[in-house]
Amino acid sequence: MVSGKHKSHTLRKVFVKTPGGRTTVQYKRRKPQHTRCSCGTKLLGVPRDIPGRIKKLSKSEKKPSRPYGGNLCSSCMRKQIKAKIEASL
Amino acid sequence: MIEIGRLCVKLAGRDAGNKCVIVEVLDKNFVMIDGNVRRRKCNTIHLLPLKDKIEIKDKATHEDVAATFKKLKLEVWETKAKESKERPRKLRKGKTPEEKEAQKKSKKQKTAKPEIKKEVEKVVEKAAVQEEKLEDAIEKELPKEKVEIKEEKTTVKKKATKKKAVKKD
Repeated sequence: MVSGKHKSHTLRKVFVKTPGGRTTVQYKRRKPQHTRCSCGTKLLGVPRDIPGRIKKLSKSEKKPSRPYGGNLCSSCMRKQIKAKIEASL
Repeated sequence: MIEIGRLCVKLAGRDAGNKCVIVEVLDKNFVMIDGNVRRRKCNTIHLLPLKDKIEIKDKATHEDVAATFKKLKLEVWETKAKESKERPRKLRKGKTPEEKEAQKKSKKQKTAKPEIKKEVEKVVEKAAVQEEKLEDAIEKELPKEKVEIKEEKTTVKKKATKKKAVKKD
């Protein structure tokens, strides 16, 4: 019988094949949602994993190294820069 | 708008938002840029041309561009070579390099063992004295001719020993 905490689907099921040939169920933490730009597109170059594992990555693996990297998508960033320059002129 | 000396703003990549100048027109689509960006080939789509234009030679070097940018009070991208640092090395407690050398010297002196050498010399000297005594005794006892023959034999033997020694070397 499944224990109570495993009925609510807060943890995801992972089926693992043991060395003896049986398949067992392991319950693991779910990954967070994709990081998204304000326009709604998924951000590329940003890893999707639980925070503890992302902490272990290097600086350049966490987000793109351009301005607004990890916050805006590239096209939105270009629009923003253009808007800023036109405003200053 | 795309011509040599045109000031632009870079829109893409890690230099995005920085000002640059067109140094060379390579193609319908590509130009060479320099200034507050890494000097590189760039697509014109990734540039936002501004109204200003700078007087610059065709294919100007980075130094020329940097000088003109400084006159206009604009920032310049400059790559710095990394300074090589000395690797930190652990020193063992109580043993500086001077002390180690002193220790080595003392070890060599110990291994030489001068007392044994002296003993060996003494033995050799004794042997030499005994040989002389024996030779004197033989000369007294035997007639002169026989002694000469013996001496010849000894010389032959000495030569043989010398050859052996050379081979060993």
